[in-house]
Amino acid sequence: MPGMWWAVGAAVAVGLVSAYLVWTAGRVQRLQDRAELAARALDAHLLRRAAAAAVLAERRYGVELYAAARIALDARPDEREAAENDLTRQLRAVQLDPTDPDCEAVIAASRRLALARQVHTDLVRDARAARGRPLVRLLRMGRGREWPRYFDIDDPTLSAPADVPTG
Amino acid sequence: MRIGIVCPYSFDVPGGVQNHVMDLAEALIALGHEVSVLAPADEDSPLPPYVVPAGRAVPLPYNGSVARIAFGPVSTARVRRWITRGDFDVLHVHEPLTLSLSLLAVLSARGPVVATFHTAITRSRALAAAQGVLQIVLERITARIAVSALARKVQVEHLDGGAVEIPNGVAVAKFADAEPLPGWPGECGPGTGGTLGFLGRFTEPRKGFPVLRDAFVALAPRRPGLRLLVAGPGEPDELFDQFPAALRDRVTFLGLVSEPDKARMLRSVHLYVAPNTGGESFGMILTEALAAGTTVVASDLDAFRRVLDGGRAGRLFPTGNAAALGDALVELLDDAPARAVLTASGDQVVASFDWPVVARRVLEVYAAAIEATDGRVIDEEWVGLG
Repeated sequence: MPGMWWAVGAAVAVGLVSAYLVWTAGRVQRLQDRAELAARALDAHLLRRAAAAAVLAERRYGVELYAAARIALDARPDEREAAENDLTRQLRAVQLDPTDPDCEAVIAASRRLALARQVHTDLVRDARAARGRPLVRLLRMGRGREWPRYFDIDDPTLSAPADVPTG
Repeated sequence: MRIGIVCPYSFDVPGGVQNHVMDLAEALIALGHEVSVLAPADEDSPLPPYVVPAGRAVPLPYNGSVARIAFGPVSTARVRRWITRGDFDVLHVHEPLTLSLSLLAVLSARGPVVATFHTAITRSRALAAAQGVLQIVLERITARIAVSALARKVQVEHLDGGAVEIPNGVAVAKFADAEPLPGWPGECGPGTGGTLGFLGRFTEPRKGFPVLRDAFVALAPRRPGLRLLVAGPGEPDELFDQFPAALRDRVTFLGLVSEPDKARMLRSVHLYVAPNTGGESFGMILTEALAAGTTVVASDLDAFRRVLDGGRAGRLFPTGNAAALGDALVELLDDAPARAVLTASGDQVVASFDWPVVARRVLEVYAAAIEATDGRVIDEEWVGLG
């Protein structure tokens, strides 16, 4: 009965295709979730660095650094990348003394921010690559959710890695 | 923090990745974390208490040498059981793109996964061909670490992603406290004596042994008591045939040495010489020599210049120039205070490579990975649905 084999073959093919579709949909969703979590972590580290810089500016370095930190804290989403880069430039312009706890807080916050930025960029790239696949677009698997956005800032690392405290 | 580390290669055979994993695990434990290391090994082989054996490893030719790895359904089951039982906050795999436990662990786990890339192999064609498969592996990794600038470059150029560069650590105390071999390093004064050291495969051209040999052969007749201590894989005949008969009794060959003996060897010489002519991506051995408190004389390669802080922590000589090396050797052997100045700077340099410092940087990467994922490391159906 060749007709029956044909039917079995078709059923297997449909099963495989739907398994692949379910798997792909899950993959897109998982990558999207992860990119959003990374964005939240990045946001937290940006705030932490700006706050640490504001504390330091109040005590030591004065108006310009304080203003840059305030602007970074209050920036609207579309101005935020520029404001954060400006803060990085201001921090690089001052001499930070790693033995001072306030300076050390800023250096550590910058180091953690650099890691969060790195992770966020990688995860956004993965998520966007998955959403950009032709099949995913055709079936509109990511609909209802915004495309993950890159956050394009300069590397905020302030000092050589050798300055990690040993104590 | 509960940390699960996967080592792809068997601990039965010494190797860079295995040493890295062991030192990292011990440093993390010393910082108060709970660490479990999964590695290929027999159930009955002697292992440190934090290592969980994942079964026999089979030899497989890989990257120019033979790697002992574990792969297959039995290994997969063990990896998954280890992940389930471990209840880890973070999973740290090494060399996840080799056919190994690391790859299995990445494919079996969901949650914060950190991966360290050690080799800087540029298998660009193979990587490009397998990009679709690689993507599935890579997108399960939350954060990537590269141990050298070169390894990081491979990440950026061929694997389409960034990586945090964290150098290999050095267990400074193990080297600083090692006991010199009996009778070494011996006398060293102006115009007389002194011991030179070389460690590595003396037959490999890039290690530059002929440069050191030429300098030694030119120097030895003029300087009584000058000795050369060589350690590394190779046949003794091949080594001694390179020297004139009259000088052979001033050359000592140790053969392949264990980690503890390597530390002792480095403590047994006045000058450690790294005459490499290229290809060295990081210069691990230099940091180890510095940790042993031995003065280093090295080729003026980028990697070496970086480790030696531009020449502040060790003497650099023009790469491949035996005459210049000879001059540097005489000068430093005659001048004990100059050697002391270099080793004092070396102590400062090596402090930033000390494992506790490096382990803290790795912990920061763990924290970043945990923040970017929800929950702990969980076992999941292979490349599972949903």
